[in-house]
Amino acid sequence: MSCSLRLDNVTLDYYVYSVRAQSLRNAVFNLAVGGKLYKDQGDITVVRAVENVSFHLQDGDRLALIGHNGSGKTSLLKVMAGIYHPARGRVDIEGSITSMIAASAGMDFEATGLQNIRKLGAMRHISNKVIDERIGPIVEFSGLGDFVRLPVKTFSAGMVARLMFACATEFEADILILDEWLSAGDVEFMTKAQNRMHNFVEKAKIVVLGTHDFNMVQIVCNKVCVLDAGRVAFYGPTEEWVERGRHLRVRQDS
Amino acid sequence: MDAVEGAFRDIIDGVRLAPLWSRLAWEQTVARFRRTIFGPFWLTANLLAISFSLSVVFGGLMGQNYRTNFALIISGILSWSIIGPVMSEAASVFISAGGLMQTMKLPLTFHVLLMMTRNVINFLAQLIALWIVLAVLRLGAVPTWHLLIGLPIVLIDMSLVSMILAIPSTRFRDVNQTVGFAVQILFFITPVFWVPSQMHGKKRLLFDLNPFGHLLELVRQPLIGREPTLMHFEWGLGMMVILSAVVITQLALYRKRVVFWL
Repeated sequence: MSCSLRLDNVTLDYYVYSVRAQSLRNAVFNLAVGGKLYKDQGDITVVRAVENVSFHLQDGDRLALIGHNGSGKTSLLKVMAGIYHPARGRVDIEGSITSMIAASAGMDFEATGLQNIRKLGAMRHISNKVIDERIGPIVEFSGLGDFVRLPVKTFSAGMVARLMFACATEFEADILILDEWLSAGDVEFMTKAQNRMHNFVEKAKIVVLGTHDFNMVQIVCNKVCVLDAGRVAFYGPTEEWVERGRHLRVRQDS
Repeated sequence: MDAVEGAFRDIIDGVRLAPLWSRLAWEQTVARFRRTIFGPFWLTANLLAISFSLSVVFGGLMGQNYRTNFALIISGILSWSIIGPVMSEAASVFISAGGLMQTMKLPLTFHVLLMMTRNVINFLAQLIALWIVLAVLRLGAVPTWHLLIGLPIVLIDMSLVSMILAIPSTRFRDVNQTVGFAVQILFFITPVFWVPSQMHGKKRLLFDLNPFGHLLELVRQPLIGREPTLMHFEWGLGMMVILSAVVITQLALYRKRVVFWL
């Protein structure tokens, strides 16, 4: 089955509610004056996190989303994962999707590593039987050894990232969305992770990776999307991005 | 029409995730009692303590033995546990699931059903304790089959009420506080530990027009071996229709916004 991920002019507005905006008294008061003050007071700050982003990914595409902190990478990943609904535009997805936006998503820090593998599998609707079969390879890939029998609260950030990545990639999905938490892993693990993503792509899958690690981008990804203040500053093949000097902003001259 | 379709899809997708929320509800219940010695008995201890205190105090006030109303009070407190406390918890259901909601795509209905299931597990654990205690005190009665209809009606109604409370509580944090406050008052004005026949005149309306009173009786009466009257069923089913309409409207209008309100 072929899978694809298409974004059409996606715009995401993020509403930030101040303390005043969250109080009912203000809403009722403003209702009495026709709701106009509501906007004027500026209690709700609208942040345009993503503006008019369009691209189309197909089987075998590995896209790197890069940009400065706050440029809209995670917001865009969340739109792709279906967590945020865009204010305008369309997101069309064919194929099953696995998103790993945060290292701790769905983890129970009091439970052991093994219990968490089962839990993360269940959250992805994997049957117990399949989880039983995969638990060995997951533990092996994560390289955590006997530590998987300890509660996750005793793990370091890198260990959590290892466990999470192992689960994310062991259970099959057509489209994998990963955010930058991956870089909490050490060098050895990053190499393993890069190999794993190559294999993932050989099975004709789509990977979208939010990252700051340029080396990883060059090794793993065939396409690059540079975000600057929510807009696409560059979108194209990795080679072209490297030729242009791996920039992060819209160039003044172009 | 797209929005209404989306609202229905949220509910259907949420219900279909039954294997997931039932499993998570169980895990969360186990986690809650991790490293405690008495585990889930803490829940029953709470039920017994309140029921005995109320029975002794009210029995004393009325000049009766505590046994007179004990079965009624303990079954009332237990039945109330899936009505009042559920509403308080519902008000913060999205706020407490915020971490998960911002990292995983799950229907809003999922979070409400997860919370409901946790409460049903608590209810069932306490139900066993209720029967044991009543049997030991020789106050027990065989529950009537009406429980098999009454309990599902109450659970569906309370899931709908939970959704209705959860959405505005996430947006307006004052609603959240108000619900906790209102539930305390409801506990006293609903016949949880008193008998409606003790009320006369206009005060009886507190019972007759209190929807939560009718829901309570749908569970309580069968538990103490009595038949709930048809009126309780009519209220239960009538509420289901009205609450469903409100839930669909709310989901259609605000479903996509909730995640930004966290």
